[in-house]
Amino acid sequence: MIADLHPSPVPSPAPAHAPSSSVHVELIPRRQRRAIHGITEAGPALLALEAGQQYRFTFDMGACVGCHSCEVACAEQNGLPPEVAWRRVGEIEGGTHPETKRFNLSMACNHCLEPACLQGCPTEAYVKLDSGIVAHLADECIGCQYCTWNCPYSVPQFQPDRRIVTKCDMCKPRLEQGFTSACVEACPTHAIGIEVVDIAEWRADHSSAEAPHLPPASITVSTTRIILPADMPSETFAGSDWSLRPEHAHWPLIWVTLLTQLATGLVAGGLLVSLSGTTTASSRLAAFAAAAIALPTALLHLGRPLLAFKALRGLKRSWLSREVLAFALLAAATGLAAVVPEPAVLASAALVGLVAVYTSGRLYMVPGRPAWDTRLTVAAFWASGAALGGSAHLVLSLFDDEPTGLRWLVSLGGGGVIAGIAVQVANLVRLARRPELEWRGTWVLISGHLRAWSLIRLATGVLAVVLLIARLPWPALGAVVVTETVARWLFFVSVVPRSMPGGFFRGKV
Amino acid sequence: MAAHHESHPPVKRTLRERIGLDHGANRYTYAEDSQFGMMHAGHRPDRWVKTTCGYCSVGCGMLLGVRDGRAVAVKGDPTHPVNAGRLCPKGLSEHLMIAADGRLTTPTVDGHPVSWDVALDHVIDRFGELIERHGSEAVAVLSTGQLVTEEFYALGKLVRLGLGITHFDGNTTLCMASAVAGYKMAFGSDGPPSSYADIEITDCLLLIGANLADNHPLLVPRVLANTAGTIITVDPRVTKTAMIADLHLAIRPRTDVVLLNGIIREVIAEDLIDHDYVRDHTEGFAELRAHVEPYTAEFVAQECGVPADDVRRVALTFGRASSAMVAWTMGVNHSVQGTETVALIATLCAITGNIGRPGTGPFSITGQCNAMGTRESGFTASMPGYRAFDNPEHRRELAALWQIDESRIPTARGRAYPDIIEGIIAGRIKALWVIGTNPIVSFPNRDTLESALERLELLVVQDGFETPTTALADVVLPAAIWGEKDGTFTNSERRVSLVRKAVEPPGVARSDFEIFLDIADRIGLRDELFPGWKQPEDAFEEWRLVSAGRLCDYSGISYAGIADVGGVQWPVGQADTQHLPSGTPRLYADGIFPRPGGRVALRCVSPVRLPDRSGSYYPFVLNTGRTVEHWHTRTKTGRISILERLAPEAWVELNPGDAERLRVRSGDLVRVASERGQIDALAVRVTAIVRAGEVFIPFHYDEASANRLTSSEFDPISREPNYKQCAVRIDRIG
Repeated sequence: MIADLHPSPVPSPAPAHAPSSSVHVELIPRRQRRAIHGITEAGPALLALEAGQQYRFTFDMGACVGCHSCEVACAEQNGLPPEVAWRRVGEIEGGTHPETKRFNLSMACNHCLEPACLQGCPTEAYVKLDSGIVAHLADECIGCQYCTWNCPYSVPQFQPDRRIVTKCDMCKPRLEQGFTSACVEACPTHAIGIEVVDIAEWRADHSSAEAPHLPPASITVSTTRIILPADMPSETFAGSDWSLRPEHAHWPLIWVTLLTQLATGLVAGGLLVSLSGTTTASSRLAAFAAAAIALPTALLHLGRPLLAFKALRGLKRSWLSREVLAFALLAAATGLAAVVPEPAVLASAALVGLVAVYTSGRLYMVPGRPAWDTRLTVAAFWASGAALGGSAHLVLSLFDDEPTGLRWLVSLGGGGVIAGIAVQVANLVRLARRPELEWRGTWVLISGHLRAWSLIRLATGVLAVVLLIARLPWPALGAVVVTETVARWLFFVSVVPRSMPGGFFRGKV
Repeated sequence: MAAHHESHPPVKRTLRERIGLDHGANRYTYAEDSQFGMMHAGHRPDRWVKTTCGYCSVGCGMLLGVRDGRAVAVKGDPTHPVNAGRLCPKGLSEHLMIAADGRLTTPTVDGHPVSWDVALDHVIDRFGELIERHGSEAVAVLSTGQLVTEEFYALGKLVRLGLGITHFDGNTTLCMASAVAGYKMAFGSDGPPSSYADIEITDCLLLIGANLADNHPLLVPRVLANTAGTIITVDPRVTKTAMIADLHLAIRPRTDVVLLNGIIREVIAEDLIDHDYVRDHTEGFAELRAHVEPYTAEFVAQECGVPADDVRRVALTFGRASSAMVAWTMGVNHSVQGTETVALIATLCAITGNIGRPGTGPFSITGQCNAMGTRESGFTASMPGYRAFDNPEHRRELAALWQIDESRIPTARGRAYPDIIEGIIAGRIKALWVIGTNPIVSFPNRDTLESALERLELLVVQDGFETPTTALADVVLPAAIWGEKDGTFTNSERRVSLVRKAVEPPGVARSDFEIFLDIADRIGLRDELFPGWKQPEDAFEEWRLVSAGRLCDYSGISYAGIADVGGVQWPVGQADTQHLPSGTPRLYADGIFPRPGGRVALRCVSPVRLPDRSGSYYPFVLNTGRTVEHWHTRTKTGRISILERLAPEAWVELNPGDAERLRVRSGDLVRVASERGQIDALAVRVTAIVRAGEVFIPFHYDEASANRLTSSEFDPISREPNYKQCAVRIDRIG
């Protein structure tokens, strides 16, 4: 038997002759333990609502010991599959041993006053009930997952077995019967509660919704009242900070955005060419084909594609609804241009395309995704349209008997590629400057995990420009398609969503 | 453990759902339960069965929901005195464990499914053969802390009286043997004197080596409810529990004895001792005073790595408190000095008069759900009813109670767990019967254990699940588990609660009780050992008589009485109406202890300390422990997907300074090696929870087994392993 830490006697301490009674030290100061309810006491009763009030969650960070009972109780109450968590517990740590502090943040839906999920939803599948609960209507959800990008807390989650998004409803069916929610009921230390909040007062001052590593409450006016411990260290990190990793690629969206931008670029290129001659029918047909293929491709992104028509409901407030409409109009306009070779028709198709690409870029400008939340996104999309349209048109011009305006097309394509790279670089500079993980993290991914792909993007971009200038249409188009596809893939996978702080294992499973 | 699990069997999706017209709404509806309101319709039971949680020793009351013969839900029992309706994440998902994959459903011999007849006859024949050939020492039995008391009582009689096996111990030696031995050393008997309620009302709670928040979560509300008292924690790590304390002493590993000596010195020097109690109820005070004299606060501070003033503060606060208690768990027990440390804790409580009153006591918070039951009714380190093997009076009592010849009562315990393993290695023990435990993952120094088990001529494993240990077994006996059988559990505060059968075991699996009775039948001793027994309650009735008059007196406790109040704290004597219905909250209120002379033996303890390993080839001190999401070797919790999602793999906690030196960051993989073995790849978790030079690994994971690293060092008295400190090195991979 090997004993590697062999016991050895403690060396005799120097004998102390005088008792230490002369030393006066104070007793241990008692930490303020809030008068939490003992194990045998019930939680507070749920009060009735008056006008101008709503329910909200409260969370006492000092009382939470990180047992995760709330998460399990929530999953049991709602029969959730293991990959979906309506309530999660994150960790916030700071300090040095032995003065280390680690606090937990248990959070479900914040039932915000300005719910971003609701505002972005194209099918109006969200309603803010009189009780303040932000309810998700499963029947109306088409599984587009736009709410999962909009919510800065990453509360709504796509539930794979149902092909829709689901989220916390504060256990509405239980509240209606006078029971409290499952998480509140399960919390052994009564750290989670539900209480009534005055909406106007909270709108004026919602500073109590703030906590380290949470997005600013002002984005959505989160209603969860968080009681922070007095001994929160000034410098902290979240348990999930280390697990920075690429997001989903969303391939249908990569194709949809590239196709609609190609269609727009082609009609724009056609318009340029028409200034110096006549446009080719092939480029107009190609534009229509791209726009038309984009529409069914978009359905591949949806959990419930047959209900895609519902996406037009939210035109009043959802950029996604507007994008859907604009893409349909783009298909119609390019279709018209394909059969009516009038410059005016082509010009209107180009205009529709510009607007469609704008709506498309605009929908990515959400506070929940800082890397996208910039006008540079729209600029990047337009630039992609120019690069793809210019180079594709150049190839199609090969088949013309008397090709004209090739210089314009080279400029459009090459300019698009260069602008796209410039926009991407500008965005990375913007993101790298801010210390928060949701900003800087994109740069970390691009220059770290995704470095090889980033270099491919850059190299193929430069190559594309060279090939365009050299008037090698086919190789140039190939290089443009590669550089733009990689760029778009990087766009999707390098975004770092805003969310609540996670635990050590969040993101690993 | 790759693809699991229990809870979500593959869903058959209709055509409508496949094309998205339906979103599976019919699977996600709510239905009303008359007691608990709206709940997921798939989890709403037809009936609730009142029972007690089968994981840890807190002993939470729960309701197990059953529908169509399947366990579909659990709720905390709102009326139970221990937890008042709350549960930890393991308890909240416990119903999922019953139908989890990996259940053993049929006996096997050499991997072939056989009938119970064949399996049990084979085991009995082989045991008989080996004993005949090599003597009674040839067969050993390792039991658990997770059976019901009735089963422990039956097993003890079967093994020691029926089968004539000498070497009989349990995995409880891996967790609370030091507490047992320490109580015996100080008080003359095992038996934790305090109650959970004392945690709420004490004026000073000193938690040593006890991370309640991860290991006994439902005791944390008791700590938090204590708004008037002072909470002090002692632990090298800044645990979740340390973070809710008023003061945390992050002492260096294995310096607890130095600290306790220092506190004792201070309370004596400051004259904060209870002179009357010392005079009337203790012995050895003069020696103690002399012994602790050198342990000045400055010396303690230097040894323990904590400020001297903090040592004084703890001593003064503890000494001046109107009531003070020390509670501990594995941080104390898992030590080469565990027994003596426990005795020293009892010493501190005794000289300050903190025993037997509300809010006082040296309180061992034990590990498994029924570790207490086996301590009291088992036949391993003691005889049933805390009786001593070497006490002729005790042997006479038992012989009379059982109506057998006194010569059949053994006069000494057999080998303790680690010594059984050593006996296997030495070739003296040829067969091992393992019941409800998974030594491959839980025993220290895994390589040695594996080579020991390989040497066996016969390994019989009785369990509810496939485990790394059943994988090595020659004979596998499938057992019913929690939820599938009746009996009682006794929790850390001596509260006896009922465990109820709610569903049938799978296949031909049987309760351990039935297995033991069947074996007795086959060797022709059923009528003698288990006269008239048909069900666990029959065993309980006999156990009541056997415990009568002992410290752990169950004689006034009945199934019906327990059912009325949820749980009854022993001792309750037959005529003891004063303590009914809920039992006796504290022991030793009269200050009379079951030692010759009736006094507490104050203990002088000299620390054995760790050598300085810095600069050596194995420069880190490894501490092992648990996390709230998992239970022991993950036989159960590793099969529950939501718990696995919360803690899917092992990790090693590394101080930021050490991480920087090793050039690793959180999430990076490292190799951790000791002189005995290594973990090939382990994710780093950079955290200031651990001190520089110290690392922590949870031991739950077979895939990254901390016990490949731990050493074969044991407490000389209790034989409990020293899991908490061993020397390791860490190397970055790649």
